[in-house]
Amino acid sequence: MTAVKHVPIVKKHKKRFNRHQSDRFMCVDPSWRKPKGIDNRVRRRFKGQAAMPKIGYGSNKKTRHMMPSGHKAFLVHNVNDVDLLLMHNHTFAAEISHAVSSRKRIEIIAKAKKLGVKVTNPKGRVTTDV
Amino acid sequence: MSSESYPASSDLLWELTRNNTSYLVKRKTGGGVRLSRDPLNLRNVHSRKHSGAVNSQAIGVVPSEKGGISLLTKKKSTGSTITSSYKPAKTSRKSYHHIVNATAKKGYRTDLREDAIARASALIRSYRKPVKPTKESKPRGSKAKKAAADASADL
Repeated sequence: MTAVKHVPIVKKHKKRFNRHQSDRFMCVDPSWRKPKGIDNRVRRRFKGQAAMPKIGYGSNKKTRHMMPSGHKAFLVHNVNDVDLLLMHNHTFAAEISHAVSSRKRIEIIAKAKKLGVKVTNPKGRVTTDV
Repeated sequence: MSSESYPASSDLLWELTRNNTSYLVKRKTGGGVRLSRDPLNLRNVHSRKHSGAVNSQAIGVVPSEKGGISLLTKKKSTGSTITSSYKPAKTSRKSYHHIVNATAKKGYRTDLREDAIARASALIRSYRKPVKPTKESKPRGSKAKKAAADASADL
């Protein structure tokens, strides 16, 4: 159930990279676009400018895609999908797909508990109180 | 060309089926993982070594009725699956002996010995009732405030 011991997860840049000048204009979407202008100060990496995304910000390969618990998510749609994780319950955690009914969710959670598989979203649709 | 039909080689079968087979389960989550539903696959990993459909010799460990385990092996001549079921043993070590004696000790897929035992062990563990009951989670946030208010009202 608990994840395998791993090197600490380090996120080098937790903030989003927003597009240059998206804070100034409504029509400039914050989705990242690399500035291409000849005089652009962000592109030329002037002091005090926004940082641009680059490969160096990538996560350690050993901890990439890892959740804080140390597991990686594996999407399950039914009970049979949980069976696949029998030998991987230290590396993968089951994530129940969004369109699964509450009745089947209960079955999936029960099976996961038997196999010692962690479920990332066990409360979805199963708990009734608001 | 002879009229006799020979079974395709394992290597050819693997090349044909490695990207498209009903056993293959692909997911984009977790950086793109490929698992296998093959009952003759001990680790559920989609790989040449662990694939049961492709290899002429393969081992499977699956749950059987009444909390026992079934050992699946392949007949080399015909490729058909042989199932031998074992009743739930008193100690899990006995189950491992059954498996190893029927496979690795006979020189049948000695490379899968550990995997077979690991799977049997995982299955046997899943039959056990949980020792620790799951902890009730503490209420957080607004629910915690509400619970505290209710507790003080009772006093």
